[in-house]
Amino acid sequence: MEDSERQRLWSLPLEEKLAQAEEVIVEAFDRFGREIAATWTGGKDSTTLIWLIRRVCRRLDRPFPISLFIDEGDIFPEIQALIEKVSQKWEIPVEVVRNDNVLRLVKDIGDPVKVAELNDLNRRELDLLEFAEPEFPFEPESYVGNHLMKTVPVKLFIEQKGLTALFTAIRWDEHDARESEDFFSPREDPSHVRVQPILHFRERDIWDVIHTYKLPFCELYAQGYRSLGARYNTRPVDDIPAWEQDFDNIPERLGRGQNKEQIMEQLRNLGYM
Amino acid sequence: MAKRILIIGLDGVPYSLLTSLREQGVLPNLDSVIKKGLFGSMEVCLPPISSVSWSSFMTGKDPSYHGVYGFTDITAKYQLRFPFFADLKVPTFFDLMGEKGCQSVVINLPSTYPVRAFPGVLISGFVAVELARAVYPPSLLPRLQAMKYRVDLDLARARSDKEFLFKDLQATLELRRKAVDLLWKEIPWTLFMVVVTGTDRLHHYAFDSLEDPQDPHHQAFVDYYRSVDSFIGEQLDRFEKDFAGDDRLVLLLSDHGFTGLDKEVYINRLLVQKGFLAFSADNPKMISDLDPKQTRAFALDPGRIYVNLKGRFSNGTVEPSDREKVLEELSDLLTNLHFNERSVAAGVYRREDLYRGPLAEEAPDLVFLTHRGFDPKGAVASPKVFGASGLTGMHTHDDAFYLLYASDGEVNQTPQIITDLSGIVLDWLDA
Repeated sequence: MEDSERQRLWSLPLEEKLAQAEEVIVEAFDRFGREIAATWTGGKDSTTLIWLIRRVCRRLDRPFPISLFIDEGDIFPEIQALIEKVSQKWEIPVEVVRNDNVLRLVKDIGDPVKVAELNDLNRRELDLLEFAEPEFPFEPESYVGNHLMKTVPVKLFIEQKGLTALFTAIRWDEHDARESEDFFSPREDPSHVRVQPILHFRERDIWDVIHTYKLPFCELYAQGYRSLGARYNTRPVDDIPAWEQDFDNIPERLGRGQNKEQIMEQLRNLGYM
Repeated sequence: MAKRILIIGLDGVPYSLLTSLREQGVLPNLDSVIKKGLFGSMEVCLPPISSVSWSSFMTGKDPSYHGVYGFTDITAKYQLRFPFFADLKVPTFFDLMGEKGCQSVVINLPSTYPVRAFPGVLISGFVAVELARAVYPPSLLPRLQAMKYRVDLDLARARSDKEFLFKDLQATLELRRKAVDLLWKEIPWTLFMVVVTGTDRLHHYAFDSLEDPQDPHHQAFVDYYRSVDSFIGEQLDRFEKDFAGDDRLVLLLSDHGFTGLDKEVYINRLLVQKGFLAFSADNPKMISDLDPKQTRAFALDPGRIYVNLKGRFSNGTVEPSDREKVLEELSDLLTNLHFNERSVAAGVYRREDLYRGPLAEEAPDLVFLTHRGFDPKGAVASPKVFGASGLTGMHTHDDAFYLLYASDGEVNQTPQIITDLSGIVLDWLDA
């Protein structure tokens, strides 16, 4: 997308942003019919997107697409509670996907996963990453962990359900790397289209929608969390609610995971570890 | 009258070294403050390591209150984790001042990474690996990037190349100077703090160059101290000039002492030899490679010893009722450790004797303090108990320094330990 177009979309008033998002959702239904599902993390963005999709479905009188919740093995109970509550209230069927093969071998974060004990599928996926160690610690947000615990279950889900598209709730302003994304962005392995209707919402817009339309949200945001990931790797950013924080000056993802490898390297150079 | 505070931290600078360099006339700027202020040595909290010391300094509390016992922590599952700045369990004096509307500018303070909301401006110090997460407010980031600001030296290279070490020490000191220039008038502040961490790097990598006047790098070592002294002089001058009408407090301090290193002591190897510890991997790389079922105790940097206690660790082998016995065995072992007839242990302290705060349960069971020259290490890969890794200096828990001077003469409390300083600063501000 042209930079000027992105700027234009960013500067739209909230109601027009919502209308634009609904247009994308309608177009997605036209193009992909029933071969599209919606990912729902329980976070503020995807809950807002689920609400928008539901609004379009009711207007068009079509069934809600399957929604997909990824259990990467370290879910905040507060997120679990939000999903249960909202899926009942909004009557949204949720399919939980997880990498059972890995989860059966571990109990807690950091438990060792022996590659030899994994099934063929997971071992093949590790080969694709060129991962050659005999074991790794279970951490859903490490490079290896993210792939096995999130990417692989979604991949299987897409293949098994014969999907050609997936709604996701990413936004351009989350980080610079996302600026190359479009409302419809094709992906490989497996081949499908990511439909991203709220790309042009800013963090502030999301909270404005949540408050204006009284959408439910995970209570962790009230405790100062700004962005939610795996429990072991996510911290609150401040002790005031997310929506009262200084969006311009405190990055949304500040409370998310650290670069462990780089930190260890620095410590080693000073004789620690 | 308005009050202003200037704090300059010199990471790892011993009182004794400052005293001797001062006598040699290397530190004229520092000397002028020493002559009118309170200058002395102090202890730091155990274990003596920057993350613990600076966290203790900024909170005025020992680790059993703030929760930071090292650069690493161990989880119940034997995995290493790195404490976040946001993990500090008690507020810093910057936060307390912020509640009263007093802002601080803080540059290069270790253990403030990743940044969180902060009353003023903060650039984190070690171990800040991503600048984008080390700067508050983030709107400042482009200007720091434009000056090619770096948190640290290129440590990997500086460690093995002394010429480069001295070059990069000057380069990073220059960046600290530029950051001070940039932020001096950025916001109306009550407190301005900058930490020079190059001193600690210099000591780790080249303490031998100090100790031997014939060493080819001895002069470069002393010259770096001259540069640091000029840096201090510049900041003191502008503090005095720009805030001539205000009451001013100057505090200089270090976070631990330093001394020469003869032998590194690989405690985990000793524990393996004596049957306290076993690894599940043939070539263990990290403590997380231990075999919990065969382990009664293990060590983390620097000299932190943990009993593999049932209830505390997921595969604990030691019953709480047996803990005392294991502690006694470990104490005996460490107390009697010798290298070529030289005794290694200066003290083996029990958690109960060191820490009284609400987080004392998270502390190591023992802290091993060594005589000067023996550096206790948590490394797991060494085949021997005593060895060398190329580092030439080690931390001490005593011989850190403080230097306090108030333009209104209203400071006369003498700190004994680093945690005394925050109270002294806040009292001066409130008086």
